[in-house]
Amino acid sequence: MGGTGSDTMSEAVASGAAVSEGLSPFRLGLARVRGNRGAVIAFWVVVFYVFVAAFAPVLVRILNIDPYALDREAINDFGLPAGPMGGISWDHPFGVEPGTGRDILGRLMYGARVSLLVGAIGTFLTTVVGVTLGIVAGLRRGFVDALISRLGDVTLAFPSLLLIIALANPMTQRLESWGVPAGNTARITYIMTVLTLFGWVYMARLVRGQVLSLREREFVEAARSFGAGTGHLVFKQLLPNLWPQIIVFVSLSLPGYVALEATLSFLGVGLLAPAASWGIMLGDSVRYYRAAPTYLFIPGVTLMVLVLAFNLLGDGLRDAFDPRSDRQQL
Amino acid sequence: MKMRSKVLAVVALMGLVAGACGGSGDGVQSGEESGGLSATFDGVKDGGTLYVLTYAEGASTLDPQRVYTGAELGAWGSTFTRTLTSYKPVAGKDGTSLVADLATDLGTASDDLKTWSFTLRDGITWQDGSEVTCADVAYGVSRTFGSEVTAFEGPQYAVSYLDIPAGDYDTGSAYPGPWLATEEEQALFDEAVNCDGKTITFKLKVPVADFNFTVSLLAFAPVPEAQDTADQYGLMPFSNGPFKVEAYEEGKELVLVRNESWNADSDEVREPKVDKIVWQFGLDETVIDERMLADSGDDKNAIVYGGILPENLQTVFGDDTLKDRRTDGFDGFVSYTMVNVETVSCVEVRQAIWMAIDREALRTASGGPFTGEFATSFVAPLLADDYEPAKLPEGVNADGTPNVEAATAKMEEAKEKCPEVYAKATEDGLRFDHPDTDTWKKNMAIWIDSLGAAGIKIIDNPIEPSKYYATINGDQGDLMLAGWAADWTNASTVIPELFGQGGGFNYHNNEEDPAFADFQAKVDEAKLETDRAAQSKLWKELNQYVIDQVWSIPGSATKAQNLVGSNVRGAYQWLPFGWYNLGDLGLAG
Repeated sequence: MGGTGSDTMSEAVASGAAVSEGLSPFRLGLARVRGNRGAVIAFWVVVFYVFVAAFAPVLVRILNIDPYALDREAINDFGLPAGPMGGISWDHPFGVEPGTGRDILGRLMYGARVSLLVGAIGTFLTTVVGVTLGIVAGLRRGFVDALISRLGDVTLAFPSLLLIIALANPMTQRLESWGVPAGNTARITYIMTVLTLFGWVYMARLVRGQVLSLREREFVEAARSFGAGTGHLVFKQLLPNLWPQIIVFVSLSLPGYVALEATLSFLGVGLLAPAASWGIMLGDSVRYYRAAPTYLFIPGVTLMVLVLAFNLLGDGLRDAFDPRSDRQQL
Repeated sequence: MKMRSKVLAVVALMGLVAGACGGSGDGVQSGEESGGLSATFDGVKDGGTLYVLTYAEGASTLDPQRVYTGAELGAWGSTFTRTLTSYKPVAGKDGTSLVADLATDLGTASDDLKTWSFTLRDGITWQDGSEVTCADVAYGVSRTFGSEVTAFEGPQYAVSYLDIPAGDYDTGSAYPGPWLATEEEQALFDEAVNCDGKTITFKLKVPVADFNFTVSLLAFAPVPEAQDTADQYGLMPFSNGPFKVEAYEEGKELVLVRNESWNADSDEVREPKVDKIVWQFGLDETVIDERMLADSGDDKNAIVYGGILPENLQTVFGDDTLKDRRTDGFDGFVSYTMVNVETVSCVEVRQAIWMAIDREALRTASGGPFTGEFATSFVAPLLADDYEPAKLPEGVNADGTPNVEAATAKMEEAKEKCPEVYAKATEDGLRFDHPDTDTWKKNMAIWIDSLGAAGIKIIDNPIEPSKYYATINGDQGDLMLAGWAADWTNASTVIPELFGQGGGFNYHNNEEDPAFADFQAKVDEAKLETDRAAQSKLWKELNQYVIDQVWSIPGSATKAQNLVGSNVRGAYQWLPFGWYNLGDLGLAG
């Protein structure tokens, strides 16, 4: 698309108006996103990653690779990948992990499952908690609002990353003693929990601000004057107008969580062997940048492309849903 | 000596990919390399500053009664803490022979080997010029008993050997160390260690044929009572050697400068050359290797504490221009996996674990043959007298590869004989304790994979590396990683320590094992045996006994590789400590 954001907007509004008498802001936005080539490409990249993650067990069988099998033949006596380029060969299209000879492509695919799972569930939980608390704070105002807002301030004031690392072992053990299956299930549960505990504030603040302004608008006043209950106000009046902001926020925070999962694994608050995760791969590969640069490069690029795609998609969504943005599209 | 657990510093991930693969790796083999020119003193000049680069955040301690890490024992001993006896500062096996240091000779023993006396030389001084007295030595030795300060960190031979009655203190002795002792309690110690002029006499409760080796440990080094700062002494110890501590800050640096009060005539062991030794702590390991390879500026005058990263071995040993700067050799340690004999009380299961584990893959994952040779003995090959490769249990492959068939068959046997342990191993899983490092993340994959092939389940239990030994001291898993080196050239510092009753490093919980009584009886016999050849024979038999019972699974007799700056001279591997003779290192050019 060569036109400016406002051009596309007016086109979309015009065409939308011609087809039917009115489109919701949500559908209007979607129409605009479809016109944004960068966002569309980003969307398909994300779909590709999700597909690979979802069907990883099938795909590795088709490609005849095994993310867990040790391959002594693929590494030399130093434990380094045999052959040039980190051991890239027909058997191991992306090379092998130094030390064990495990297939990097296979481990990347299984790692995508962890990254996307943590990213998706983390985003979902923070969104649910954040939106709920944001609406409550914005609607009830007064003491409840003050309480939730201060709680948010306090949460943001925590050195969260330090706390997450420091609490990892004791809290994981506590979870296990509460009956969460020991090992990686408990570890993922822990990561999800702390991400939600520390992540809800941003969403809650955004929603609260929106609700505060929406609740004074005429259509809300009108509904209220007709005697609409809180349920109606929230679900019929407020939420439809909040969706665009929520979607934009979600699409921008998802890559953050994917990257955070990698960071935590890298820092050692991750999964146990032999599970694969991008963070573990990146953390390990830094040591081998001299002997096997491809091992650092490939997971790094894989993570970068996914985060970039999410960000482009999020940008596209924001451009489409926020009429004030006026940006030249690439 | 405890094995240093290597902590890989976390580095910030920068998106930079630099450098190409160095060398093909083919034809590069591990073998003894002495360090070429750098091991000699060719062209060495007096003066200059020597740098020690290390990933460690600090020294484990500078306190003589608390230090127990091989390289540090050698480093502090050669610079600021002299002992009654010490090791000959030469390369090769000769380096394990004893020489008189503070004492005039190697000590005199009574016929029953229960009384040992040493006479101090004339002219030995502290850094303030005052004389090193017999009382200083006795005071130093007494500090080991003060467990509220020394915290069992150093060797406990003073407690187990000296003729002081048993008591209720944490050490098991009736003497609580110099800080808490009442007059009567102090008298107990003074009875066992007494001074007559310059002669110090140790009375032992057991005969010890090589007590003069024992006193070479820094735990038997003098400390002047007036200078003792108890738990703070490790930050600024008082020197009687050629160097003294000028500044020490953890995470930053340790600066050793020449001690002007050191009297060279009183010291036949040390030959200092440089003016200053600066330890730089907390460096990134990857960066250290890069700097050593580049060899520019002050790094020409640098050595490394911590060795070469395994991923760089191919680069270092594939490049013959580094021949004069690199070393490769045994470091005196044996790595092994302890089995908790109480929870895995079935010898068949323990044998099956050994048969199934892929030691070859484990060794490759940590860097291949350069990291060590497969061990069949808990005594390192460097202890030539006491070392003998043991006969492996039938079904264990000598080349380190797994024998799944034999392991599966053994597990079937275990199913009949000890169904409870069998169920634990196959259903609940065995908990494996290990330091949480990148290398061990991969090693665990190998353990899980190869034991899984024999139907044995492993539960991964990574532990923060700096807390590893402290953690397993309180809470032992079913399998635990460990490493150990002899304290002196006698397996009496290995077998009883690792497997005997009350052994300082015995986490095997093997005392309830039916086979233990026989074993302990023979250990007691070997300890009392004064004929060295007969004693060696007993140690070898005892080692075989442990192998047969599989109380522990030996891993490798480990090797260490190092790279020094091009100006560094005298950098030979000093066998008793597995590192350089720090105080004698010199610089050329």
